[in-house]
Amino acid sequence: MNLRILLVVIIGSTLIFQGCASKSTELNSSLSKQEVSTVNDPFEKVNRVVFSFNIIFDKIILRPIAVTYKAVVPGFVRNRVTYSLNNLSMPITAVNNLLQGELRKAGVSTSRFIINSTVGLLGFFDPASSMGLVTETEDFGQTLSVWGVSSGPYVVLPFLGPSNPRDFAGLLSTSLLDPMYQIGGGSAPSSLRTYRLGTGAVDFRSQNVEILDDLQNNSIDYYAAVRSFYSQGRESQAASNLEIDSSEQENDIFDDFEIDESYVGPDIEITYD
Amino acid sequence: MTKIRFHIYILLLFCSFNFTAHSSNFLEEENFVTSFADSAISILSNDTISDAERTSSFTELVMSSIDLNLISKFVLSKAWKNASDEQKENYLIAFKDYFVSSYANKLDQYTGEKVDVIGSQEAGKYVIVESNIIREGTDTLKINLKWRLLNKNNQIKIIDLNIEGISLVIAQREEFQSFLANNDYDLDKLIEKIVSVSD
Repeated sequence: MNLRILLVVIIGSTLIFQGCASKSTELNSSLSKQEVSTVNDPFEKVNRVVFSFNIIFDKIILRPIAVTYKAVVPGFVRNRVTYSLNNLSMPITAVNNLLQGELRKAGVSTSRFIINSTVGLLGFFDPASSMGLVTETEDFGQTLSVWGVSSGPYVVLPFLGPSNPRDFAGLLSTSLLDPMYQIGGGSAPSSLRTYRLGTGAVDFRSQNVEILDDLQNNSIDYYAAVRSFYSQGRESQAASNLEIDSSEQENDIFDDFEIDESYVGPDIEITYD
Repeated sequence: MTKIRFHIYILLLFCSFNFTAHSSNFLEEENFVTSFADSAISILSNDTISDAERTSSFTELVMSSIDLNLISKFVLSKAWKNASDEQKENYLIAFKDYFVSSYANKLDQYTGEKVDVIGSQEAGKYVIVESNIIREGTDTLKINLKWRLLNKNNQIKIIDLNIEGISLVIAQREEFQSFLANNDYDLDKLIEKIVSVSD
């Protein structure tokens, strides 16, 4: 019961917060085209501190586990784990599909879960996709965005990484909405939760070992690079939920760019070594 | 068992209209992406040459397929207009080295076994070709790639690669803007940093 009250408070406060914010958004809508590339990050100083802490946590705990996992566990098994995590997220995806008014997608998510949990051997295989049952996972942060809640400022959470008030509210509410958390008695739901959280983190990290290493080593400003990746990724998910062309904002940025032919620059010789 | 099978048939029926429409309006651009991906894959899977040779021919392929000059100016945004000719020259040279060391050599990570072009559309002055790559060892784990191309004087060049909704060029641009904002908008400091990272 207390949890339900918490949910109402979270959603309510996000909506109120949003209500205040939306007025200024309307006023600024004419400016937004130019500001589209400017990141909303008023807490940058605090965020950078938390970000540095997360890097240390990643360096000494998460990354070593992910690297070991990748080295020890064969690719075939790792792909099964990815599939099983995807399968476990189908019930909450179906709930979010419904909350977004997407009945057909809710049908697909539910069918995926039923087929993959049975024919797909507890979700370790994905026969549903070969039957044409393909869908993206959905979280409550995305549902809030469909309901018109804007993301709010960029926030870096300890351990959890990049987020914003909308996605954080979504994250907190997920445990209340997810059918997988209500199924089974005793310790079944909590061990499932631990599996998803722990394995999910390792699965994600292990898929991105090289990419994140490269990003970190080659970045001019690693914090800004991660912020851009996160914000762009969430924006494009929000756009696809609203069935608008996800490249629209991006097109504006590229279109505003005047192709400057006035300065050709030095004749750069390219060496390939 | 028959009951389960029946349910599956019903579900299949329910979802049989779940097909995505493929539009191929820009065949030339689509063929460009296909041939770029094919060349990339054949270089990367060529076991008869050394690692160094593979890297250099891959870099050569990437550098001849992109419009580096345009990308360089785009990622610098407003700072480009305010730069002196000397700064522009230093920056272009530094960015080229940086690009080779941080992108061109690394793009092989995004080149799976198969790149499927699924459509194309106009976007202002550009054409966007959409494709999927299938994760190695699976049938269904896909990565979505959108290639932003510019056809200038009948020469097609890659301007940007968007991976699962994330534009690499925009990310680079935001990174440079952030660095400049935290360093008194001093372009020389940025150039210095770019040089130090690519070394």
